[in-house]
This record gives sequence, C-alpha cells and structure tokens, in this order.
Amino acid sequence: MVRLADLPPAQAQRLAAFDCPNFATEPWVTGPPLSQRRVAIVSSAGLLVRGGMPFRGRDPDYHTIPPGTRPDDLLISHVSINFDRTGFQEDWNVVFPIDRLNELAAEGTIGSVADVHYSFMGAAEPDLIEPHARELAGRLKQDKVSAVLLAPV
Amino acid sequence: MSALGHYLEEDGIATVAISLIRPQTEKTRPPRALWVPFQLGRPFGPPGEPAFQRRVVLAALRLLERKAGPVIIGDFPDDDPREKADPSWRPPSLPAVLADRTPSGFAARLDAEIPLLAGLHRRWTAEHGRTSVGLSGLPMREIGGYVGEWLQGREPPSPNDGFSPLLLLRFAADDLKAYYLEAGAAEPSKPSSRQLYDWFWKTTAAGAALIALRHTLLASDSERVKLIAGNFLVPPPYVPSTDRPMTIGGPSMGPWQPGQ
Repeated sequence: MVRLADLPPAQAQRLAAFDCPNFATEPWVTGPPLSQRRVAIVSSAGLLVRGGMPFRGRDPDYHTIPPGTRPDDLLISHVSINFDRTGFQEDWNVVFPIDRLNELAAEGTIGSVADVHYSFMGAAEPDLIEPHARELAGRLKQDKVSAVLLAPV
Repeated sequence: MSALGHYLEEDGIATVAISLIRPQTEKTRPPRALWVPFQLGRPFGPPGEPAFQRRVVLAALRLLERKAGPVIIGDFPDDDPREKADPSWRPPSLPAVLADRTPSGFAARLDAEIPLLAGLHRRWTAEHGRTSVGLSGLPMREIGGYVGEWLQGREPPSPNDGFSPLLLLRFAADDLKAYYLEAGAAEPSKPSSRQLYDWFWKTTAAGAALIALRHTLLASDSERVKLIAGNFLVPPPYVPSTDRPMTIGGPSMGPWQPGQ
C-alpha cells in the first residue's frame, strides 16, 4: 500500500517532496446525474493495443483504445518499473476497469460507456502532455463524454 | 494524472482521478480525486475481485455528484486484500541458480531456463485468456538469446523496425519479466505481488541475468545505455547493495515496494 506512514522515512520524504505542477486556476465542470453521464477511461499506464508502437522514453502523446479491444489486446508499455504489473496481468480491470463500467452502465448507474478510451504514459512531462490533453478534450466532446475516469499506475 | 485532470477540466470535460500518492494529489489539486491505499500499479485494487473493484470505481464516480468543489479529495477506506501473501503458493520448481557467474554463464542459464516455464505459461494463458507478453514482438525463444547477446558485451541489431537495439532490449526485458511472473502465478493459489517478485528476482536465472546485465551496462561509455540500464531493468528493492542505485523523476516513478 502507498501510505507514507508505512514506508521507510527516506522514501516517504521523497514522495512527499516530489515536484508537482502548480496551477494558477482551479477549473470545475459540473454535469448531469451519474445516471446520465457518458464515461471514458483515460489511463496514464502507457497502455497500447498489441501490435502498436509502445510508448518510448517519455512520449507525451496518447494512444487510443478502440471499441472491441479484448483483454488479450492490451499491453502496458509504461517506462517505469517501479509499480506492480502482476495485478494487470491477472485482470485488466485493475488498471483499465472497462468491465466494471460496462456493468454500471447495464444496470443504469451510469448513463453509458464511451466507445473509445485513451492512455498517456505517466512519466511524461506535464507541460508536454498539455497540447495532447487539450486535443483529446475535443475528441471526448465529439463522443459526448461527460465524465472522465483518470487512472494512474 | 492530476495535471491531465486539470487540462481536461479547463477544456470543459468533468474528471475524477484515482490518486495513489496522496501528497502529490494535494499539491497538484485536481478538480476531484479519490485516494486509494493500494500499491502502485493497482489503481482499482485487487485482481479478480469485481465487487471490490466496483466499489472503487463507484466511489470515484460518485465524487462527480458532489457540489463542494473544487477541490475534492476523497479517501477509499479499504486495503487491497490481495496484498497479503498466500501461504499455499509454491513457486515453480527450477534448478538452483548457478555457479558460473560469467556473462556467458548467465546467458546460458537464461536460455536453458525459459523453456522450463513454457508449460506453466501456456496454462496461465489458457486460464486467463490472455498474456501481457508482447511489447518486443519477439517470440520468447528469441528473447533469451537477445538479452544474452547484450549480457556478453555485444549490441545485437534490432530485428524490429522502429525499435533501436536499446529500446528492443528494454521491451525484451519487460516481456521476459511478464512471462515469468505469469508462469509463476499459473497455479490455482493467489500469490501476492511481493511473493512473485521475490521469486523472480531472488531465485531465477532470468532475474540474476537482468541484475548482471544492469551491472554490465552501467559500465558503458554511453549515457543512454547507462540511463536505460540503471532505471529500467531492475526495480530498486532488488538492486544489489553493491550496485549503484539510480532513480529518475516522474510522477509514477516514486520508490516502490511490492506488497507483502
């Protein structure tokens, strides 16, 4: 678990002191009830569909995860080796909870699930990600997505 | 991740982020985040536990209905039950690692060990309907040879267009680890990540070969080779104390300890 109190003091200090982006604004978008939301997953696990070009180094762009992607199609190409991959190997929902979203949509708890999902690679520099994220926002709007579930590793 | 939430929300898309490291989320202040007390790599909790995963997903999505923002940071209360070691798990039976600690000795043992796990890996793939091996595009029988070439001081050409030899080495190492970790979990028991990683890094010829490879490549004249070797082959908890630890920055690159 990542509770700082459970980590060795030096590790906890490094994590707590990590350099993070400091934004001047605090954007806030409201929307309809959950039962009317269309939800997409945006991962930062460096996910790609088998056969595609894996993320290299700190590539700041994103990959699409198209409709019909099966569990055997999805790979992790995140550059970091400092996180567990055995959970994803056993069950893709640990990183990409598409089955859970589909169940929530089927029972009406959420409105629908987006056709296309996306993945960045979390080690990329935030300022280099920004133009790609803004371009992605346009695609999400075209797909009428009204909620994004952001999933790190 | 929090930065992505900021950008998307600025452009009109409501977001909620899973947070694995709460102090970083507190600094970045995304519109909404759910902190979860799980190990890095498991944002939605334990594998094979759909009811638990559903609670995590729903707890995150419910933050979208809260009015008191920005910023909202919620806390998920429950630990990942699969972080606990499974005492019934038995690692695959492999010959003890090796007296010959020369580069060619490591390479030969690696080459001999990979096929020993083929049956278990087939079982894993049949049971789970998938494998996460595949980044390098090389068949497993060639991966050992490719890593072995590097171990012995050669830089073999990349057989895959678009991948430099060094990039292919990184992906081949990732495939090697995935193959072993899947084969190691092929039995019906439920090993924790810590059990699997300890087995791989402390007992297998593949783990020993990657640790030796890291050591060898850190003596390279190429800064790029040293960067890849130092940061992307062996997780810090398994780097021998005699080797120089290396870490580079990045939100997902904090120190990591596998589960129990």
